Amino acid sequence: MSKIIVVTSGKGGVGKTTTSAAISAGLAKRGHKTVVIDFDVGLRNLDMIMGCERRVVFDFINVIQGDAKLKQALIRDKRLDNLAVLPTSQTRDKDALTQEGVEAVLNELKEEFDYIICDSPAGIERGALMAMYYADEAIVVTNPEVSSVRDSDRVLGLLQSKTHRAEEEGAEPIKAQVLITRHDQARIDKGEMMTVEDVLEILAVPLLGIIPESPAVLRASNMGVPVVLDDPSAAASAYEDAVARLVGEQVEMKIGGERRPGLISRLFGRTA
Amino acid sequence: MPSNDTKDRGARAAADIRPFQIRGRFFTAVSLRPESEQQDESFFEALDDQLRQTPQFFANAPLILDLEQVPGLNGTEVLRRMVETLKQRNLAPFGVQNASGEQVRAASDLGLINITTGQDAPLKAERRQKAIKAVRQTPAKTKTITLPVRSGQTVIADEGDLIVIGPVSSGAELIAAGNIHVYGPLRGRAMAGAHGDETARVFCTRLEAELLAIAGLYRTSESLAPEYGLQNVQAFLKNERLCVETLG
Ligand SMILES: Nc1ncnc2c1ncn2[C@@H]1O[C@H](COP(=O)(O)OP(=O)(O)OP(=O)(O)O)[C@@H](O)[C@H]1O
Ligand SMILES: [Mg+2]
Repeated sequence: MSKIIVVTSGKGGVGKTTTSAAISAGLAKRGHKTVVIDFDVGLRNLDMIMGCERRVVFDFINVIQGDAKLKQALIRDKRLDNLAVLPTSQTRDKDALTQEGVEAVLNELKEEFDYIICDSPAGIERGALMAMYYADEAIVVTNPEVSSVRDSDRVLGLLQSKTHRAEEEGAEPIKAQVLITRHDQARIDKGEMMTVEDVLEILAVPLLGIIPESPAVLRASNMGVPVVLDDPSAAASAYEDAVARLVGEQVEMKIGGERRPGLISRLFGRTA
Repeated sequence: MPSNDTKDRGARAAADIRPFQIRGRFFTAVSLRPESEQQDESFFEALDDQLRQTPQFFANAPLILDLEQVPGLNGTEVLRRMVETLKQRNLAPFGVQNASGEQVRAASDLGLINITTGQDAPLKAERRQKAIKAVRQTPAKTKTITLPVRSGQTVIADEGDLIVIGPVSSGAELIAAGNIHVYGPLRGRAMAGAHGDETARVFCTRLEAELLAIAGLYRTSESLAPEYGLQNVQAFLKNERLCVETLG
């Protein structure tokens, strides 16, 4: 059974595309057949972070509109056999995403892939709603600051009300988990950012992982390499841990690469 | 038990005379949406039919004329005839909605206001039933929510109490005709007694609310004394004041 996972946030620039790239590469590395779709129509970004922007011929919108076959638009990753990217269009807008079109593409992808990762645009408009509509699970990307958390909360409400699983009688609700990114312990200690506990207290959903603020992220994306395929870094191993949890493994929660046993037992107490 | 009768700044300045009070009001209005520009016999026959079916629902009901489907229905005289016919039927038209510029002008000549906010709720058959039952004094209906209420969501208990088991986020809104009970932190807005019931109360196991209101009298987080924050509290009206009290 394949799983559709949306990576969403409400607020822009919090790390959705970085996360989509890292999680999909991490899943593929573990042997899962994975495809990552760019739903941010008009602001093509994912293919750059995945390092395949010069191989884009056809895109997601071409497939939805019947101008290209899915096989023509899928870009197979050169580093990992199991990984493919479905890029989006830079010239169209989000109205080109139709519910029927999205459903048809997802159904076709389900025949080949174990995991379908949907990189959502920011906001709560059509593009974001389309990216989440057919999801089975959600990764809500949040930075530890008030406006990001508030937007994530809003998105959690939409996941619970404006999706296929919400509308379908008797369906399990979407399983949503929060991924805290750009975590910066120094700024938290200075009181400039929220603590992990405060974030979880408000969002009241399980924690998938904590990704530290790290220059490795920017460097990797400038080179078009998902951070988990680049040289080892604290951010890369935090993403690897998040992937392990996503597939159901129990991995201890670390902050900034360090173990924090006190916090961890408390977090698991809350999210188990 | 400390009873909290903090005065707001305005009241303190005015010492003991207070010329007026401002209250927020929520109420339900009926909207009538003509779908043909022909206001002939058959239109009023159909209207009378509807009124006969559900008399209590419409008796003296505040009514909005929704003109979206009838842009051609304009001119003060045409509108006046419409308004008068509605008043004869014990309806209380007070505003227009989705009106063109010309319609807005004609409406304001007749003392009708132009309404640009608000949400439509369909008048379902079962809803009409409920409205009639309410008059026959069936117990008010309680609405129970067992999921977190998130920022941007509104939960309305139109006829009775609202119970939320779980957190209510900042930016979320709870509205109830009766009491509001929150078993969890209340960080959003809670408006009890939304139809004017001054005996309604708000209860929560942790008060971090942005706004509390009862029958339209409200206090915002700024004027909710911090000592009640993070505590098990109730809010109620006493002598026209919104009081907050910790629960033992
Ligand atoms: N853990 C991190 N450490 C440092 N920088 C990061 C981290 N995560 C993301 N960034 C940087 O933040 C910026 C925004 O990231 P990204 O494009 O992934 O966000 P997004 O949520 O997809 O944005 P948009 O809403 O525009 O789609 C990028 O410059 C990225 O390199
Ligand atoms: Mg992005």
